[in-house]
Amino acid sequence: MHKPNRIWNIFSKTMIGFSLLFFYLPIVYIIVFSFNGKRSLSELDGFSLQWYEKMFADPIMMDSVVVTILIAVLATIISTLLGTITAIGLSKCGKSFRNAVERVNELPVMNPDIVTGISLLMLFSALAVSKGFVTMLLAHIMFCTPFVILSIMPKLRTLDPNLTDAALDLGCTPFQAMFKVIVPQIRPAIFTGALIAFTMSFDDFVISYFVTGDGVQNISILVYTMSKRVDPSINALSTLVILIITVALLIVNIVPHFLHRKKTPLETK
Amino acid sequence: MKHSSFAIFASVALLMICGLFIFAGCGKAKSAAIEKYGSDRLKLYLPGAYMSDSLIPNFEKQYGVKVIVEYFDSNEMMYAKVQAGDKYDVLIPSDYMIERLLSQKMLQPLDKNALTNIKELSPAVMNLKYDPNNTYSIPYFWGNVGIVYNTKKVDPKVVEEQGYSIFQNPDYAGRIYWYDSERDSFMIALKVLGYSMNTENKDEINKAYEWLLKMNDTMNPAYVTDEVIDAMTTGKQKDIAIVYSGDAATVLKENKDMSYFAPNEGTNVWYDAMVIPANAQAPKLANEFINYVMTYDVSLENTKAVGYASPNDKVLKEMSAPDGLFGQNKAYLPRSGYDKDEIFHDNEVIRSMISELWIKVKAHKAN
Amino acid sequence: MKLKINPFFFMTGPYLIWITAMIVIPMLLIVLYAFTIEGNDVATIQFSLDNFVRFVTDKTFLFVVGKSLWIAFLTTIICIILGYPIAYIISKSRGRQSLILILLLTLPTWINMLVRTYAWMGILQEGGVLSNLLEMIGIPGVSLLYTDFAVALGMVYNFLPFMVLQIHTSLAKMDNSLLEAASDLGANKVQSFLRVTLPLSMPGVVSGITLVFLPAVSSFFIPKLLGGGQYVLVGNVIENQFITAGKWNFGSAISLIMAIIIIFSMWLTRKIEVQPRKEEN
Repeated sequence: MHKPNRIWNIFSKTMIGFSLLFFYLPIVYIIVFSFNGKRSLSELDGFSLQWYEKMFADPIMMDSVVVTILIAVLATIISTLLGTITAIGLSKCGKSFRNAVERVNELPVMNPDIVTGISLLMLFSALAVSKGFVTMLLAHIMFCTPFVILSIMPKLRTLDPNLTDAALDLGCTPFQAMFKVIVPQIRPAIFTGALIAFTMSFDDFVISYFVTGDGVQNISILVYTMSKRVDPSINALSTLVILIITVALLIVNIVPHFLHRKKTPLETK
Repeated sequence: MKHSSFAIFASVALLMICGLFIFAGCGKAKSAAIEKYGSDRLKLYLPGAYMSDSLIPNFEKQYGVKVIVEYFDSNEMMYAKVQAGDKYDVLIPSDYMIERLLSQKMLQPLDKNALTNIKELSPAVMNLKYDPNNTYSIPYFWGNVGIVYNTKKVDPKVVEEQGYSIFQNPDYAGRIYWYDSERDSFMIALKVLGYSMNTENKDEINKAYEWLLKMNDTMNPAYVTDEVIDAMTTGKQKDIAIVYSGDAATVLKENKDMSYFAPNEGTNVWYDAMVIPANAQAPKLANEFINYVMTYDVSLENTKAVGYASPNDKVLKEMSAPDGLFGQNKAYLPRSGYDKDEIFHDNEVIRSMISELWIKVKAHKAN
Repeated sequence: MKLKINPFFFMTGPYLIWITAMIVIPMLLIVLYAFTIEGNDVATIQFSLDNFVRFVTDKTFLFVVGKSLWIAFLTTIICIILGYPIAYIISKSRGRQSLILILLLTLPTWINMLVRTYAWMGILQEGGVLSNLLEMIGIPGVSLLYTDFAVALGMVYNFLPFMVLQIHTSLAKMDNSLLEAASDLGANKVQSFLRVTLPLSMPGVVSGITLVFLPAVSSFFIPKLLGGGQYVLVGNVIENQFITAGKWNFGSAISLIMAIIIIFSMWLTRKIEVQPRKEEN
């Protein structure tokens, strides 16, 4: 804080150190075993690239990466947009209406995935929709949006309503007020919501399994159904995913951040 | 405003791009296959890791068609999807599930004229009770359920003497893997007690429940499913496990310390078979595919890759001959003609009864 | 505002239509199943409480629900204890550094959950990485797999990032002038943390609890893989009823009961959160 004290420094460094160790231990494990010489996830036996060869030779595995990333990106964009607009709208609505919508909104979060999956399966079957990429995307938007709203609502509650009212009085439309006044104030919350939505979509198995069809499958479906035999090419796939995402994050986030930071003085506390 | 319209534009654009992706993969019409089989797309729904990697690419090349594959991890999960109206051309469920699908009129008869390779199949896998004349199904793999054990830690004599009762032998408490499936669990308990595994007698089922409770409470078992394959292959963990014969064959192939035994109390012999659902879109092509899988070359490649017993007579004999690939493997060739071995029947009442009892067995531990 | 129609109301319109189609209608199907018995069709529909009676009269199901709530509660508490300091440290670090830390923290969650859980199995099992390490320092034969510890570890591993993210969000945009004011008024650091920072970050903690507790209650792959099949939680029972037993009616009833318990506990959490804030004002 104002005067960085020693104990705090040591404490924060150890805390961060240990948590990174905790978070990355399995990741290191996954990467190491993707180069394993034999088909095992508990014993190492030499170095080989055979699992990478197997992965790249398998169109189903490569397709699943494309599907997973496409669905996750689309679902994140759409649900962040939908969730932000809805949350802002809700925050300006009456309390009982807001509460009612919030309760319904929480249903997909707290329903076990299997229930959500089956209920959507029943819905799509009743409507005779042929299942595939689109139904999977719809389902992902359905369970991602509540997380976005959940992330943004608490932040909205702490905002000063007078600012928005002032903007409206000065002739802004609600949409303008939203983007000029509210959104800038809740940007970190939107970012968090989008991050959670992306993670949820990326990881989902049960719901995706029930609403997909036509051979469209994401990484989770692939992993769950392939896990009968230990297959280190799944590790190779995971290593590839982490590589793609790290590179994407570097490009999208850090590079412009660094470029931008050079021009403006660093934020200090 | 600008932001939102841009975001909407971006998402619509992305949607269109991915739409293109999906259609580009399977959009090209191949008229030859359509003329001959009425379709050039075959949708397959089978258990994961249950087919050699080369089978589908070879079939696609030879017939000029596109095969779309989906996997399930249990018969029940497959049933839930098919019942909800999902359309596939070929399914590969187990015997009792075929019985259930048949009773719900969810299958269509096979075209015996197209199945010219049916004569290649072993008589051991044909004309079984779940589908007496193979009107609806052609066997894909078969096997039984048995005990895999580490010969370095457990005396083969003890296993052969005690059979399934070894799972109540306190010497091995904490050293066992139990397969987490209600059907197999009750099968074992009923066999130990000398009953039929297809019993409809509630007293017998309750006695089996008591047996399982005792096993659960005294043996500290780890309830696992397919993780057991890797765990037993490394051999560093527990010593005794219940495993399907085909998976056991893989374990034995990779770890010479492991052995397999199908207990004398009798066990479950099962058959996974190819069927065509009633709502299939390309039944003609489906029959062609089933016929293709039955051929010697394809069966040979498949059994080598997966390790389960082939229904193809010649392949089965070659593989299990003393100098064959699985000749010395105790788990490959399922025991046949043993009168205590049984096939599962599907009985709705019993099914839900044991399903509930099994949850109670597992949840009992922490009480 | 009272008389004219609130313009912001229209902004919720698309989502209202969406949740009606994608959440409410499917949920009503579940409710319908829960209150009917098997074999009913639309023509001869008959409502019944049988499913609920069966639930409350069976010790096993009550026990399973209790255990699920307990594990989820434990996970949530551990996530708060670990997550709060981490989020606090991140929010106190400089802009670029905190961004990097947040990304480092979320990166592992983008590896498939099952793959990560399998990795933990490999680490925790007998003859695995951890037991080999322990053997090297002279503690042989340790197997942590299939224990309560393994389940709690797997849950915390999966859900902790959500807690950190939520708390961090509420800490990050906190007005520093409040802290300065507090210190000007003579509060020491501990006091200003307790009286200013902590209460202001409570909304983040509460939404963190929501994001950890809710999925933890119904998770079933983590307990199944790390705790073994004997780790029967309510998610496993529901899965079993829908998939293996084919009892959609009873499965729906259990889901409904769970939903009610969860709504109640979330309502309770919010009540607890709202109280101290009022005092603060």
